[in-house]
Amino acid sequence: MSQFDIQFTFNGETISAISGQSVGAALLAAKQRTLRKTRFNQKGRGVFCGIGVCFDCLVVIDGASNQRACITEVISGMKVQTQVGTNA
Amino acid sequence: MHNVVIVGGGPAGLSAALTAAVAGAPVLLLDSNPRLGGQYWRTPADNFGDQNENHFDLATGLKLINSVKAQSNIQVLSGAQIWSASHKDGVSTLRVIYQGSEKIINTGNLILATGAYDRSLPFPGWDIPGVMTPGGVQSLIKGHGVVAGKRVVVAGSGPFLLPVAAGLVKSGADVVELLEANKSWRWASSILVLLENLSKIKEGFYYIEAISKGKVRARFGQAVVGAYAGENGELESVDIAKIDRNFKIKKVRNIKCDVAAIGWGFTADTSLAGALGCKQVVAKDESVVVLIDSKQQTSITGVFAAGEITGIGGSELSMIEGEIAGKSAAKFVGCAVDISRSDLIIRAKKQRFAAALIKAYPIKSGWRSWLDEQTVLCRCEEVDLADLKDSIVELGATDSRTAKLLTRCGMGLCQGRICGRFVVDLVADQLNISPTDIDRIAAVSRPIITPIPLGVLAAGE
Amino acid sequence: MKNPDAIVIGAGVVGACCALSLTNAGLKVLIIDRGPVASGTTGAGEGNILVSDKGPGAELTLAIRSRDLWFDINTDIGGGFELEAKGGVVVSRSAKGISDLKKLSVLQKENGVEVIELDGAGLRKIEPYLSESVEYGVLYPGDAQCQPMLAAAQIIRAVKKRGGSFIQGENVIAINSNAGSLIGITTDKNNYSCPIVINATGTWAGEIAKLAGSHLPIMPRRGFILVTAPAPKIVHHKVYDADYVANVASSDADLQSSAVVEGTASGTILIGASRERVGFKADLDISILRQLARQAISLFPVLSSIGLLRAYRGFRPYAPDHLPVIGEDANISGLWHAAGHEGAGIGLSPATGELITAQITNQSTFIDPTPFSPKRFQGSEYVAV
Ligand SMILES: Cc1cc2nc3c(=O)[nH]c(=O)nc-3n(C[C@H](O)[C@H](O)[C@H](O)COP(=O)(O)OP(=O)(O)OC[C@H]3O[C@@H](n4cnc5c(N)ncnc54)[C@H](O)[C@@H]3O)c2cc1C
Ligand SMILES: Cc1cc2nc3c(=O)[nH]c(=O)nc-3n(C[C@H](O)[C@H](O)[C@H](O)COP(=O)(O)OP(=O)(O)OC[C@H]3O[C@@H](n4cnc5c(N)ncnc54)[C@H](O)[C@@H]3O)c2cc1C
Ligand code: FES
Repeated sequence: MSQFDIQFTFNGETISAISGQSVGAALLAAKQRTLRKTRFNQKGRGVFCGIGVCFDCLVVIDGASNQRACITEVISGMKVQTQVGTNA
Repeated sequence: MHNVVIVGGGPAGLSAALTAAVAGAPVLLLDSNPRLGGQYWRTPADNFGDQNENHFDLATGLKLINSVKAQSNIQVLSGAQIWSASHKDGVSTLRVIYQGSEKIINTGNLILATGAYDRSLPFPGWDIPGVMTPGGVQSLIKGHGVVAGKRVVVAGSGPFLLPVAAGLVKSGADVVELLEANKSWRWASSILVLLENLSKIKEGFYYIEAISKGKVRARFGQAVVGAYAGENGELESVDIAKIDRNFKIKKVRNIKCDVAAIGWGFTADTSLAGALGCKQVVAKDESVVVLIDSKQQTSITGVFAAGEITGIGGSELSMIEGEIAGKSAAKFVGCAVDISRSDLIIRAKKQRFAAALIKAYPIKSGWRSWLDEQTVLCRCEEVDLADLKDSIVELGATDSRTAKLLTRCGMGLCQGRICGRFVVDLVADQLNISPTDIDRIAAVSRPIITPIPLGVLAAGE
Repeated sequence: MKNPDAIVIGAGVVGACCALSLTNAGLKVLIIDRGPVASGTTGAGEGNILVSDKGPGAELTLAIRSRDLWFDINTDIGGGFELEAKGGVVVSRSAKGISDLKKLSVLQKENGVEVIELDGAGLRKIEPYLSESVEYGVLYPGDAQCQPMLAAAQIIRAVKKRGGSFIQGENVIAINSNAGSLIGITTDKNNYSCPIVINATGTWAGEIAKLAGSHLPIMPRRGFILVTAPAPKIVHHKVYDADYVANVASSDADLQSSAVVEGTASGTILIGASRERVGFKADLDISILRQLARQAISLFPVLSSIGLLRAYRGFRPYAPDHLPVIGEDANISGLWHAAGHEGAGIGLSPATGELITAQITNQSTFIDPTPFSPKRFQGSEYVAV
């Protein structure tokens, strides 16, 4: 198994990851399971299908919302935030 | 000679690419994933090292992937997502999002191998973080080296639960329950079919052995029918029910877990085929699949299809279908190649196995009784059962399309990929009718296959 | 339903509003549609209720009245169709466009439309993401918006609660009359006798007229709308380029579009709509989607990163003179037409219902109905395509 070799932030907190991982996988590995709050009922959601189909793992990445954490490769220095409704 | 264009880099697309290229046709292979392999042979980036541990038979996959890469007349575009497509006068136009901009590909010879994704059924709490699909749990392990949780319940129906449970055990997770909703692992129900598919027995034993090492024992006739969140809003426990033959709840117990991986087989993703105008039909398991002839040709001349989009049947059937489609497409562009008798025999064998599986793992209508009024149906638009009923009882919807437009159910970002299939059943249930094939096919119609940024759209010609 | 006082053919927004108005006037109404509620153009369009895009004349009077009636209906039936008085902003970036817009807004103001002129700074105060290139615009606080399918469904629900009924899945195949007077209709399943029938079949109204031996030149004008993924609040009003007003009045067959950009209650942004006369041509035309996307981005550059999720296509019912057809048939008494509202059917439907009902029940009308009369096509050379 490879070692952590990059870092990014989730809601300001530093998270370590292995390059090649998806944002969603790296966050799950760091015990971050709630990735967004829904638009109408503010319910927590996380990775569901894991392969880019369900759009439930939406996060805000470097200011851009509606990004699927499960299929977006994590990059060193990325700023990831919980998506609340449609915003960070 | 013209290119054969192939969409999908899973078992079917890879087999098709290699076969067509070996027959002499130049191939362009498009796949949305960063690495070839599709769902079955999903692998992480190279820096993760040897992945054999996480697979039953990665060797076959790697061999195929490497052959494809080594073949000089195959061009591979990974990370290429088709967002829209159309077909006119013998030419298919694929509009592809690739590295942040749009590429247009026109071809007269196309093979579709877009695969499938997990089939989900709703139940109270299925939207809580921690409830996942088995495929999702699997892809985290195979593609990212991440185990989704510590105490995992694996449930649903179908043989795919086995590799997922096995993968979890091997990765060190505690599989606290492995639940098959049907009465037994009913592979054995058709000995003949099994005997002609011996590799499948081997695969089955491989998984069972792995699971046994984790002291996991499968239980039958049981299902997860409720999920509960702890204070942090994340999964804390699930209700497990003994269910009858029709999936109606008999008796419920609660068990603590942090992940529940629940799946009910697969749903083919025929969006691209539908956009092109290929005829789709409703299969025995009520999923919508692409209609093909014996040459794997769709209703459109020069457009072929292979793998799960023609019917769920597993990686081996996908491969032989891919090979046949590859030959057909190569022949179509003038290569001297023919489908052999043995190709057809192998495909028929695998098809019998697939058919036996579908028969062995039926999804019975009793699941509808697990829902309560507040159960979310459309996860994207947060439409619950009460909303759906209201659109029928109060607003007079008499078909799933109208119910969808009145409630937004299925109109969110996933475009009904998750809920569309079961909403058709729920609407029909409310109206006391059976869904028509037209309803089912309409529910998977997605002319815009995946969202495209307006800026990318605007920049195209 | 036995012996209805009136039958409305068509369960789109126009049919729904006619039915509600007739019901409220005390008639027992039966609505018949070959499909489900709002399965025609009503389920394929946007929900703009505009006063801003109409120059002085009968249609503007109808639009102003109709806009107010929408709010009355909202109160009357208890809402449920996302009616919102959000206001429209019309902008222009060319010298000619600006001077035309100024002239138009002066005339509109004289006719009772509230207009507020805004400069670049004023515009960006109410639409912070509007392109820096926009320096002039007019705010129309009267413009409103609803969700048309829900509107039709909620109105029909109210009609049913008030004693009316709705039969779906029956195709009207004959209009029956006797000595110039209507006696009923025949569907593919049943016969209905009734002295009053309202033809609210939108783009297909010409076919119903034909069944009655009359001529109604209603034709389809195709339109596409883009629907984005749910997005942060970027657009606060319905915002469009003044070219749109020119397009609406045009008879040119070629593709025209001028993006009207607006946010919806569900968070999606709608960008619509194109206008073309290509008959009932159904295929998704990507070049039109691109054009709409370009126009929307030129108004709101940040839209560039927002994802397109769906595109709708619908066929607006239009008459050669671009005015709706509201009134009694030229040949058969008891047969009434309420159709041909083109790209304004959502906005104009309540006033249409009121106008029809007033004429049927011999009440005074709020406007002289002559310009809308189907009789205007008598002996005309127009042929429906
Ligand atoms: C998450 C998951 C895990 C699975 N794991 C196993 C397993 O362990 N064992 C097993 O026997 N079976 C597994 N399956 C079942 C599996 O689908 C089949 O056995 C096999 O992978 C099917 O092969 P295929 O070539 O038909 O499709 P897939 O392998 O699904 O490949 C389809 C490919 O097409 C691409 N694609 C789809 N649409 C587009 C588009 N519009 N543009 C560009 N590319 C597109 C996809 O990204 C994908 O790479 C799994 C399925 C899923 C969903
Ligand atoms: C892209 C687009 C955008 C638009 N945007 C707007 C907007 O923002 N604001 C606005 O005001 N308007 C807009 N419109 C216009 C508006 O949608 C229409 O004017 C309006 O919906 C017409 O309503 P209707 O009830 O007359 O017709 P429809 O909604 O088409 O209803 C007619 C009904 O008659 C039924 N029918 C037809 N023939 C028969 C038969 N023989 N027997 C039984 N039933 C029959 C049909 O099934 C249908 O349900 C837009 C239109 C389009 C296409
Ligand atoms: S988890 Fe389904 S899209 Fe990411």
